[in-house]
Amino acid sequence: MRRLAFGLLLALGLALAQTDKLKACFIYVGPIGDIGWTHAHDQARKKAEAALPWLETKYVESVPEAQVVPVIDRLVGEGCRVIFATSFGYMDGVLEAARKHPDVIFGHASGFKRAPNVMTYMADFYQVYYLNGLMAGALTKTGKVGYVGAFPIPEVKRHINAFALGVRAVNPKASVYVKWINAWFDPAKAREATEALMSQGADVFAFTEDTPTVVQTAARKGKYSFSHYSPMLKFAPDHVVSGQLVHWEAIYIDFLKKVKEGVYTSKNLQDVDYFWLLKEGAVELGADYGVPINPKHVSLLKAARMKVGGKEVPVYDRVMALLKDMSSQAPTFDPFTGPLKDRKGVVRIPAGRKASLQELLTMEWAAPGVVGDWPGEPK
Amino acid sequence: MEEVFLRAVYFGTPLLLATLGALLGERAGVVNLGVEGMMALSALAAFAVAQGSGNLLLASLAAAAVGAGLGLFHALVTVTLRANAFVAGLALAMAGVGAAGLLGKRYEGLPLFLTAREEVFALASVALSVLLYLLLYKTRPGLYLRSVGENPKAVDLFGGSVAGLRYLALGLGGGLIGLAGADLSLAYRPSWADGLTAGLGWVAVALVIFVGWHPLRAVLGAWFFGLLFFLQFRLQGSVPIPPEAFAAMPYALVILVLALSGRGRAPKALGVPYERER
Repeated sequence: MRRLAFGLLLALGLALAQTDKLKACFIYVGPIGDIGWTHAHDQARKKAEAALPWLETKYVESVPEAQVVPVIDRLVGEGCRVIFATSFGYMDGVLEAARKHPDVIFGHASGFKRAPNVMTYMADFYQVYYLNGLMAGALTKTGKVGYVGAFPIPEVKRHINAFALGVRAVNPKASVYVKWINAWFDPAKAREATEALMSQGADVFAFTEDTPTVVQTAARKGKYSFSHYSPMLKFAPDHVVSGQLVHWEAIYIDFLKKVKEGVYTSKNLQDVDYFWLLKEGAVELGADYGVPINPKHVSLLKAARMKVGGKEVPVYDRVMALLKDMSSQAPTFDPFTGPLKDRKGVVRIPAGRKASLQELLTMEWAAPGVVGDWPGEPK
Repeated sequence: MEEVFLRAVYFGTPLLLATLGALLGERAGVVNLGVEGMMALSALAAFAVAQGSGNLLLASLAAAAVGAGLGLFHALVTVTLRANAFVAGLALAMAGVGAAGLLGKRYEGLPLFLTAREEVFALASVALSVLLYLLLYKTRPGLYLRSVGENPKAVDLFGGSVAGLRYLALGLGGGLIGLAGADLSLAYRPSWADGLTAGLGWVAVALVIFVGWHPLRAVLGAWFFGLLFFLQFRLQGSVPIPPEAFAAMPYALVILVLALSGRGRAPKALGVPYERER
């Protein structure tokens, strides 16, 4: 009996080896049908599979963060050679599993801990948020821009700061009012936070939450908004100006190709971190794919002016110029270029240099013009 | 000030409808913990019909029908098959949310261009509260319905149908819970996503107790919860109270009221399956 089982396993193993396919498996924290984070990763998984004929994929959705290790064990047992874990909260579980399975390659999205067989990756929006901030600054009439934030963590703070820097570059007197909802997905909280911001006078909105609630709520009262993560133009065609869109497949395809070619192995990932931006095509400025700015608002943005190096230029031109620059192979502009002070007047990035990756990933300070609670704000 | 009141009312409206629905079943003696799942499925039904037909009235009716159907199903399980109402309700809540997520996949991310007005739902919910009050306290069927929750044996002796009344209460109550779902996916946030109900059904279950099983007090209770919910965001950043304190307040209040009132005002036969003595 045992011999028979062994023989069967051997045959199975040989059959698997012969297919010569690379099996990559994805672990998602949410349902693939949300309109945000998990959906975007799953779209990217499908695109990677379509682009790489030798790739085979599998996914497990709605995995609670505490249960990532048993799920990884199962996936390894099913022959996954590369495993992508797509939630910040999986971080320690991934490292534990990586020690258990030293021959398996792991990718952890949005984390900062690596190992010989664990790389980290992130498609980051901060440059795109700056561009959206420029537009928001041009469109606000009350000088109050609203921001509905998910959790007060460095990633979200970095995005709000970049956004606020953009708003202030156009309108130095404007403020960004922030409300935290302490959830990635909660339409009811997003709705009431938006209503609260409107009742305080905010007339342009951006947000971090995985539904189009803020967009819909703002549009009801005729207010402008910027969509987040997925194209949300269709939810408010007259009021969504632009937004930020993600292309995780850029990272997945590049990484998997290098694994296939043997560039990346389970021994050399200690220093591999994909922090990809506009330049690498991991993110896009847009209200919808291929629509960087809603055509209905282009004339408004052309009429609005801002000062750049002492010269008056239309906001629209500035956005397009910076988008082109930051999308090029050698960008000259970065939103977090010193000298930059926080809202308390402390210098955070000295003159003459850009924020380092470390400074970006651990950003806790609030930019000038940001109004509201800011948990973890440095003294 | 006026808009603070409006937010309290608009956020309170789906809560009120769901509370009324759960309250009606409990008045007849059947605990209903399935509200969350019933709301999720009826919200999906409303969105699917609205998306397909563009008719909001039809969509609301579909939601009410789905809610009523689930209410009758709960009656079948608890009244006829005499399952434990707590366990059956929990199962209904979880299965409903799960099924809505599964069935709703193709509706996620779709916009709804024709959206219902929140005012209509708000006004209807208040009218329904008054109607329910009149039904329960001013009519003979209402008297029977309340009696079935207090003393089913007496109703049985007087020739009333215990099972029939409980089916009626859970069916009508389910319809009201269905309208709560319709409010969510047609008016409060016109779109569909898995997890749309976000625990509101559970708040309604707590609210039933908080308002002492009374339909008119339910209006104030739901609006009060709405007010607290809105204030946690409105006051954030303007007062030194941490927003978590406001977020926790509704639940803290429920616990306080429960501790003070005991089970004094609950229908006496609540949660006890009726079995005729032979």
